[in-house]
Amino acid sequence: MKAHTSVRALAALCALSVGATSTVSKPAQPQASAVSIGESIYRFGMLPGGKPLRGERASGVPVDGTIAACVNCHRRSGLGAAEGRGYIPPITGQFLFHPRVSSRDDSDLPYVDGARINREPFTEQTLARAIRQGIGTEGKSLSVLMPHYALDDAEMAALVEYLKHLTKTQVPGVSDSELQFATIITPDANPVKVKAMLSVLNDYFDEKNAAARAVSPRLHSYHKMMFRATRKWRLHVWELTGPATAWEAQLQARLAAEPVFAALSGIGGKNWAPVHHFCEQAGLPCLFPNVELPVVEENEFYSLYFSRGVLLEAGLIAHQLREQPQWSTVRRLVQVYRADDIGATAARMLESESRRPGLQLVARVLKAGGTDAGLVGTLKDIGPGDELVLWLRPKDLAALGNQPVKADDVWISGLMGALEHAPLPSTWRNRTHMAYPFDLPDKRRVRVDYPLGWFRVRHVPVVDLQVQADTYLACGLVSETLNHMVDTFVRDYLVERIEAMLEHRVITGYYPRLALAPGQRFASKGGYSVHFAEPTGAKIVPEGDWIVPF
Amino acid sequence: MVRRRSAGVWLLALTAPFLSEAAADTTNNAASAMSPDSVTITTVNYVVPPVHLVRDTGQSVSLQQELDDGRPVVMNFVFTTCATTCPLSSQTFAEFQNKLGPERHGVHLVSISIDPEHDTPQRLRAYAKKFHAGPQWQHYTGTLQASLAVQQSFGAYRGDKMSHTPLTLLRAAPGDAWTRIEGFVTPDELLNCYRRLLAR
Repeated sequence: MKAHTSVRALAALCALSVGATSTVSKPAQPQASAVSIGESIYRFGMLPGGKPLRGERASGVPVDGTIAACVNCHRRSGLGAAEGRGYIPPITGQFLFHPRVSSRDDSDLPYVDGARINREPFTEQTLARAIRQGIGTEGKSLSVLMPHYALDDAEMAALVEYLKHLTKTQVPGVSDSELQFATIITPDANPVKVKAMLSVLNDYFDEKNAAARAVSPRLHSYHKMMFRATRKWRLHVWELTGPATAWEAQLQARLAAEPVFAALSGIGGKNWAPVHHFCEQAGLPCLFPNVELPVVEENEFYSLYFSRGVLLEAGLIAHQLREQPQWSTVRRLVQVYRADDIGATAARMLESESRRPGLQLVARVLKAGGTDAGLVGTLKDIGPGDELVLWLRPKDLAALGNQPVKADDVWISGLMGALEHAPLPSTWRNRTHMAYPFDLPDKRRVRVDYPLGWFRVRHVPVVDLQVQADTYLACGLVSETLNHMVDTFVRDYLVERIEAMLEHRVITGYYPRLALAPGQRFASKGGYSVHFAEPTGAKIVPEGDWIVPF
Repeated sequence: MVRRRSAGVWLLALTAPFLSEAAADTTNNAASAMSPDSVTITTVNYVVPPVHLVRDTGQSVSLQQELDDGRPVVMNFVFTTCATTCPLSSQTFAEFQNKLGPERHGVHLVSISIDPEHDTPQRLRAYAKKFHAGPQWQHYTGTLQASLAVQQSFGAYRGDKMSHTPLTLLRAAPGDAWTRIEGFVTPDELLNCYRRLLAR
């Protein structure tokens, strides 16, 4: 992982250098390139020329390169974090150079835990001394965690420029009275699920705004922190159209016309990548979209997901296959999926996770919109020694018919098949396992009663409980996190606070537990393998404990 | 560079006070809880819980057996995506491992993941490699319940991984009491503590 990050850092540095030289005629250009060098030091621990940043902690322990980068402790926003029993302070220019205030009530600084405000401000000289020698503005040593860095004057100046640049006073999508959110919908999303999600979002935003007071005054007082933020929430529904190649341009146009603070929930079909990449480029938090196939890039920042979806299911199935005592005698792994759906990617993941000598890997691809006969036809030669995996939607599962299949085992995707409501024919049930990337129904009942009760009161029809519960959960998480942020509306900080706070949450909907951290983008890591208890109905039985495959 | 204290002199100082939000508002004191000039050392009789953990090789092992193979144990708690305190704690173990020289073959360094759902054996291997962990330094993961049981048994549990505090535990021989060091112990201090423990 470290090598990967270094390569990315070099690439980023090159990209930044190229960007800087393209504006050579403007007087602001030296400042732009200083910020770029500063960003490379701050975020990647990389000095000009590709040399690693070097530092040493007071205890004599050296740090260099990516692990020396300021971002590790002070975070991408520069606003620091809580850690253990203490805090890592904010180091944006706004905090470093702010005049001393004895009480937060007298300060116009945004609220940040761990801000050291009752001290003399830094000057450029004392800041350089702090970074090189670990001495604060009043001559005392800084934390043992803060390294003493070796930076020459030009590098130091560039880093300080970057710290000033991190100060965010104007944030898109935030005014004194309103917060703007987008929710992104791709054209290939299931229309029933789209409606289900929107009904939750619209009602959630309506309820929030009914509770909000008129214009929220700037929160100056520490004591006023106890009041809920009173901004209204505005929802912008961004429905994309046409082929996936056109989406990024549409999103750019939307963001330019409707600047939003973050993208909340949302829903995809089989290709979420253009949305993911857009959010990363634009620096737009994309918070817990309903996607069965997310983009897995754990070193990126802005997109947070509830789980890896069908990729997690592939991991669960691979894990169960490998655990079987007779796994070494299985001849073939036969996977069936529709050409125009997400099964292809899941099947590839399962192949790479279960590959072994002597195992034949077979993929049977059904045409989009093909007939039921086509489906049944792919199963004709299945027999003992075969493991059959069906990446199919309810319509296809229902069409499997009553002929018993002679595979050793059959596996289906819970996500694609509608979980315990999968219309799997009764003759298949005693041999079929389902990948189930959620908590079991009876274990999650109390947690899911919260959204169910809310849907009842608000008259929100429940047409897809899992999607609606997830949407409600995303709204609640974001709302709670924003409350804790008080008046510090910074996009990067929103992502960082969600990372830090998520694990505390007890009401986690369909998931037994949610947790994130810097470098983690999937909040729920596991699932079950289950089978139907009865020939009909929705009762399912787990086959073992919660599995974390990756 | 001023050393915080001379080697070989142990301070039984109080840990820095738990910072409340109100205290954080007004403190300008560099001697916050993050920068202890002191490290707290106590001796505690812990009971190793009867759980199974998973080594970074993927092998499932009994923690009791792992810790009771006759070797002295030096233990800490980490998670691989921790970018703040764990790199320092692990780097300290790495320096300790180096400074031991040939003596290192007699010690068992133990790092237990407090984020086992993310810290798969594969991720632990990559993390261990970053710190040049030798065969005497094992990293462990397992189920969430097993990790919690270990953390709770050793008084290391803080509610969630972001709240974890620097902690090193040493024990000379099975059945002995454990030496508990809270705070950022330096490699030299750890070495001294270890040698004094073995000398008894």
